[in-house]
Amino acid sequence: MYTELHARSAFSFLEGGALPEELASVCVERGMAAMALLDRDGVYGAPRFYLAAQKLSLRAHIGAEVTAAGGWRFPLLVETRTGYQNLCRLITRMKLRARKGEGHVSDEELAEKAAGLICLTGGREGPLAHALSRGGIESGTVCVRQLCEIFGHTNVYVELQRHLDRAEEARNHAALEIARKLRLPVVATNGVSYALPEQREVLDVFTCIRNHRTLEAAGRLLARNSERYLKSPEEMAHLFLDIPEAIANTQLVSSRLQFNLSDLGYEFPKYPVPDGKSQMHFLRERTQEGMVKRYGAENEKARAQIEKELALIEKLDLAGYFLIVWDIIRFCCEHSILVQGRGSAANSAVCYALGITAVDPVGMDLLFERFLSEERGEWPDIDLDLPSGDQRESAIQYVYERYGKLGAAMTANVITYRGRSAAREIGKALSFDAETLGRLTSLVSAWEYKDENDTLTRHFQDAGLDLQHPQIRKFLELCVKFQDLPRHLGQHSGGMVVCQGQLDSVVPLEPATMPGRVVVQWDKEDCADMGIVKVDLLGLGMMAVLEDSLKIIRDDYGEEIDLGRLPMDDRVVYETLQKADTVGMFQIESRAQMSCLPRLQPKRFYDIVVQVAIIRPGPIVGKMVNPYLKRRQGREPATCLHPSLEPVLERTLGVPLFQEQLLRMAMIVAGFTGGQAEELRRAMGFKRSEKRMKDIEQKLRSGMEKNGITGEVQETIVQSITSFALYGFPESHAASFALLAYSSAYLKCHYLAAFTAAMLNNQPMGFYQPATLVKDAQRHGLRIKPIDVTCSEWLCKLEKQDESFSVRLGLRYVKGLRADVGAEIVRERNLHRFVSIDDLKLRVSAIRKTELATLAEIGALNFISEARGSHRRDALWQIERTSRNAGPLLERCEETEGSVSGENEATDGATNAAVKSPLLPMTADERLVADFRGTGMTVGPHPMRYHRARMKRQGVVTASELNNLPDGTHVRFAGGVIARQRPGTAHGFVFLSLEDETGIANAIITPRLFEEYHVVIVHQQFLLIEGRLQNQDNVVSVKVENVQGLAVTQAETTSHDFH
Amino acid sequence: MSFASIHVPNFMVQAVLRGEPQLRDRAIALVEGAPPLVRVVAATEAALRAGIQLGMAKLQAQLCGVEIRPRSRTQEKAAHAALLDLGWSISPRIEDHAPETIIVDVAGLASLFGSHENIAHEIVQRAAGLGLLVHLAIAANLETAVQAARGFPGITLIPAGEEEKCLSSLPVRALSPSVEALETLDRWGIRTCKELAALPVLELSERLGQEGVRLHELARGASTRSIVLAEPCELMEEEMELEDSVEDLEPLSFLLGRLLDQMCTRLAARSLAAAAIRLKFELGDLFEKDFQVLAENVPANFASGEDARKIYKKVLQLPVPMRDSKMLLRLLRLQLQADPPPGDIVKITLAADPARPRSTQGGLFVPGSPNPEKLELTVARLAKLVGNANIGSPELVDTNRPGEFRMTRFVPETNETGFRRRNRIARKKAAAGATASGANSEGALGKPMTGCRIFRPSVPAAVELREGCPAKVFFRGLCGRVVAASGPWRTSGDWWRENSWHQDEWDLEIEFYIANAGAGGAAGLYCVYYDSDCRGWFVRGVYD
Repeated sequence: MYTELHARSAFSFLEGGALPEELASVCVERGMAAMALLDRDGVYGAPRFYLAAQKLSLRAHIGAEVTAAGGWRFPLLVETRTGYQNLCRLITRMKLRARKGEGHVSDEELAEKAAGLICLTGGREGPLAHALSRGGIESGTVCVRQLCEIFGHTNVYVELQRHLDRAEEARNHAALEIARKLRLPVVATNGVSYALPEQREVLDVFTCIRNHRTLEAAGRLLARNSERYLKSPEEMAHLFLDIPEAIANTQLVSSRLQFNLSDLGYEFPKYPVPDGKSQMHFLRERTQEGMVKRYGAENEKARAQIEKELALIEKLDLAGYFLIVWDIIRFCCEHSILVQGRGSAANSAVCYALGITAVDPVGMDLLFERFLSEERGEWPDIDLDLPSGDQRESAIQYVYERYGKLGAAMTANVITYRGRSAAREIGKALSFDAETLGRLTSLVSAWEYKDENDTLTRHFQDAGLDLQHPQIRKFLELCVKFQDLPRHLGQHSGGMVVCQGQLDSVVPLEPATMPGRVVVQWDKEDCADMGIVKVDLLGLGMMAVLEDSLKIIRDDYGEEIDLGRLPMDDRVVYETLQKADTVGMFQIESRAQMSCLPRLQPKRFYDIVVQVAIIRPGPIVGKMVNPYLKRRQGREPATCLHPSLEPVLERTLGVPLFQEQLLRMAMIVAGFTGGQAEELRRAMGFKRSEKRMKDIEQKLRSGMEKNGITGEVQETIVQSITSFALYGFPESHAASFALLAYSSAYLKCHYLAAFTAAMLNNQPMGFYQPATLVKDAQRHGLRIKPIDVTCSEWLCKLEKQDESFSVRLGLRYVKGLRADVGAEIVRERNLHRFVSIDDLKLRVSAIRKTELATLAEIGALNFISEARGSHRRDALWQIERTSRNAGPLLERCEETEGSVSGENEATDGATNAAVKSPLLPMTADERLVADFRGTGMTVGPHPMRYHRARMKRQGVVTASELNNLPDGTHVRFAGGVIARQRPGTAHGFVFLSLEDETGIANAIITPRLFEEYHVVIVHQQFLLIEGRLQNQDNVVSVKVENVQGLAVTQAETTSHDFH
Repeated sequence: MSFASIHVPNFMVQAVLRGEPQLRDRAIALVEGAPPLVRVVAATEAALRAGIQLGMAKLQAQLCGVEIRPRSRTQEKAAHAALLDLGWSISPRIEDHAPETIIVDVAGLASLFGSHENIAHEIVQRAAGLGLLVHLAIAANLETAVQAARGFPGITLIPAGEEEKCLSSLPVRALSPSVEALETLDRWGIRTCKELAALPVLELSERLGQEGVRLHELARGASTRSIVLAEPCELMEEEMELEDSVEDLEPLSFLLGRLLDQMCTRLAARSLAAAAIRLKFELGDLFEKDFQVLAENVPANFASGEDARKIYKKVLQLPVPMRDSKMLLRLLRLQLQADPPPGDIVKITLAADPARPRSTQGGLFVPGSPNPEKLELTVARLAKLVGNANIGSPELVDTNRPGEFRMTRFVPETNETGFRRRNRIARKKAAAGATASGANSEGALGKPMTGCRIFRPSVPAAVELREGCPAKVFFRGLCGRVVAASGPWRTSGDWWRENSWHQDEWDLEIEFYIANAGAGGAAGLYCVYYDSDCRGWFVRGVYD
């Protein structure tokens, strides 16, 4: 029997061609009972390998190839937990002192951390091969002797590999001689780099990527043959017929490797509580305080719920975890950082009492088990939303400080090859030219919906590539093979793990690209699977907008707004929502949300919770949306699936909309416990396995039968639960989001200027481009002023005039203007005003000609002189002279002139700027082009405004007129495309949002029409559409029958596409 | 002074369609690029109307239903030569301005052709005769004529003093400004020559420098420069159409000798020599001949298809520039003997790449090297014997494919470079010896290296296997019993190409015997391999 003891997975990043799961399953297919995964300088793939092996009853040995100073690698196998901890620390030490992707260990470090590790002598890249190539057999003997000194004589095995290569066989002869001389056991391995022979191609392309070569130029860097696949015990036994002990020894080594990843020794940090108190006691006190504050002292229901939760927290020994999260919240509150817990934590009354979440789970009757259950045996998951940017960073740095550099780290984010990245890299390896590569990658579809023609083959044809050509066929094959293979390790945006003591003994740590950050080698899923607690500190653009809005309101309006105390029944807010006038509002601004709002007619906060949750794939795929809306409008009776479910579904009119309802339904109809119900949800989740799903469905059915629910009712309930579970939205999460949605709506309705400025200052975020936000604000009566170097700051700001506020665009919107130059302009201007463009150029010396040209082109220099009638081309004329070096001779002349007239410098400057240019002012369209080119938007009239008369003659109506036309009217509408969508749930329909000077109109395009006018719809910026108006329940859209491109402007307007 | 500028619009298309004027109205797109990445580079009006865009992939263009043709640089060259011929047929004073534009000094031609209008019509007519539709402009100012011919269709006659007025509607882009200047002018809203000419020149020069002044002058038709007279064609070409086709080498040599004499005389007159001789035969009816046309002598566009059978090309690259017609004839004869044309020759085109003649002086103390001309002759004779592909300097290729090498042109090393190279090799050897003397990567374990004499090509063999291991080998009429075997050594690669390989090599100690006489022959150590792609066994070589 044979055990593979030296295999690399794709987590050796560009040095392995198969995923750990694939290796595990092929290993089992080939009849092996155990396998060791030794990735390069890490245990990146270990959790996935371990979990896959567990499912297949395979013993998963862990180890790593650790790089030495000379470039060779020590293959180390973990024998015990100490060995694992030593390996993790060894790798952490080498990684943290080197640049990303580099580093090596010294012999001294190896000696220090050798306990519990078994060392093999390695294959071509091992220490023995290097020693042999350096100094023949003598040097090899010395090397192996050194290994024995470091790891102990019983922990070194002389490794033999046979890839049918002469040089390797010569090494094997030498290795055997050394083994005999030193009385060491030999062990056979296959130095596996992929699971199947055909994956050698992937490895060859990886080699090219690693070495920045093409396949044609890679030569002998490529593999000699395809022998590094996972061979069966029989094949290996045949290969080593002459050395049977090498095969037998693999079993011996395997039996020594007792460690597995269930034995990590991870411990969550203990929260430092005052003397004499336990963590639980301290948590009870804090919860009690919070409960009184949130619920009052008399709320028995809340008290009972909190007691129940605390009992479970105590039983599961999670007090420390809650206190640590509470501690982060406390830090944020003390430093005036907006923070809000979301996700399933919002189901917990303890979290609400501790101030972690803002949603009252008792008042909303939310299901605690969705958050925490005894059966699940997992850590709870608390996500904290923070304003994106510096404030989130300060919260992260606080956690680092609090738990030490080796006690806290960010979780990794494994970046994998996807359609475009794979196509690009493979194309390069196959020597495709840059133009073709660009064309190809841009064609790889980003639509969410994929129709049957939307295949890689089709994209290749679209790109003009001949699929009959062998190289192109190979390209296509490789693109498919590359999907989901790891490319490199990134950093998760906010997931942090913390550990009592040394995190580096649980998982190796690495430096992140961002200075001051440390990242673990596992992603958040792996951390969760390995039972490591993580806290997500997520940056949310809208949190930053809210915070910025509050600051602007405080500074400019002189008012203090507390988001926790907003009136939740504001009439204006609900009226605005009912009209779907929601551009810029959190989570309810998309086209789909807008088309639902007038039908749902939100009147209270819970309606917004429903609104946030209803436009999700779960309710849409489960066909819940229309029944709910019809029942809400009284068009159909609010019946329930089963009378016993009435208490659960009553609030949503008999239609299940939330995950919690699904859980409760399972608990009621099938008698599931809270934990079992959560297990059901997970079984239906993203990583669904057929077997697991079948098992749990069987349990569900038998439970229902016990309760007398059979036949059609049973079928309907099972159907609604299974179809919904995959994409359902938790009510608690929806409630957290609804709070933000309400806050954003409130600020937009009552403080439009502040909200708009904050939105513009936090782009990119949300559904719309800044140009659309500006136009929407203008339609709501807000004046937006253009960029002007004499008064614009870097960020957009408010200006007060006649008791009303307007927004002055900031210099951040000048394309190509560097932030430091922008800051310099503001600083110099604040010292004293610029008297001319020459003056600006002189004082802001770092400014480049291109930056000046853009400023001039967008009119930002028009007001620099006091001369009346100065226009953009005057400035453009001026800057060409200002930017040109006069040359040494003339420069001296100018200096002389300058010194003579130095006293009147300011006057001269002004006079200079006042010189008119011989150029004509820009036309309206030229200004439009310049605005979009220079800032991506215009504060002037909408491009359609200039063509309204022509449009009217052609019978084209405006967006506002559409709203007043009856259903079924044949209409023509023209506008700029601001969003294109092809949702996965819409069966190939395409939705366009078109904007004109009066508002936004929606267009629906059938798959057939899309197929026919694909190029026009995707590439034209302005469209003239014709079709039947659908006006139902004040939801207005045009079902397009004909579409054509419209020449409106040369301006490069943009749209938000392909969601 | 008056100048006529002759401009061929859509030059690439016109070059291809020159010989087929009936196709002008058809939708035709020209493509260029190495398959599979072939793109549209030019198209007829009809094709553009059909939806063709420049830069489009060939497959996309085919979907538009247009006819696809390859771009032909040869035909462009010919069209350019025709354009020059057109100029020279009018006046000896012409400027070769661009591939698609020439300038002709028409001063003093009135007595021959009449008025400027007559001259213009004459030129356009002659151009049509050559298969070219041209735009033409005549002006007293040379640059004005160029800009007008490029910017305006048909014939444009610009009276002296009215240059500015005539150019006023011309787009600024036609003046070929730099990208930066064009961007600036565009930002200023200056799009026509009239608008540019209206700008104050001094202030323009402050902003755009000398280029601004130049563009301003061009826009006003005030630019002054002299005509740059075209030198006679660089590629010297001699052509001979044969009334009776030639089949045999002897009469062909006689004709080639005449052409070479003329060519060498022309070269001598200009103090030049030939760096290469390009021979092109137009062939008549084909006849079956077992001739092999060597791939490296046949350009890609002639390697297949109709033309490949009608045109025969040969390039004689010379080690040093020469103009000895007798030597050149000998070399050409040897080339033709080694690789004869596959048909009767009806037209001979002989061209020389002119170069400065060799002028070297041997060192006093360096040993004499063979005369390059004689050496080339020797190499050519050897090539005739062994074939062009089998002569030169072997060079190893960076690949895992066993035995792979390529032949490069044999160039004798100069004394200086040879000394340096030997010195470098010696130094390398000394350095390598310090670590592993006499050992390569395989012999790095301190064992002596074994040499292998490779059979080229490998010798087909029959192998009898026992338990997957070679037991008997038959090749070259010999039978051998395998005494010891080591292997297989497996290599495979180039999987992304059509000619991928997969071989299992064995090192075999073979004891030969005579089939009827039993064992007892000589023994040897051989490298034998099984090629999975052609499913056969071969002997690669024998070890020393």
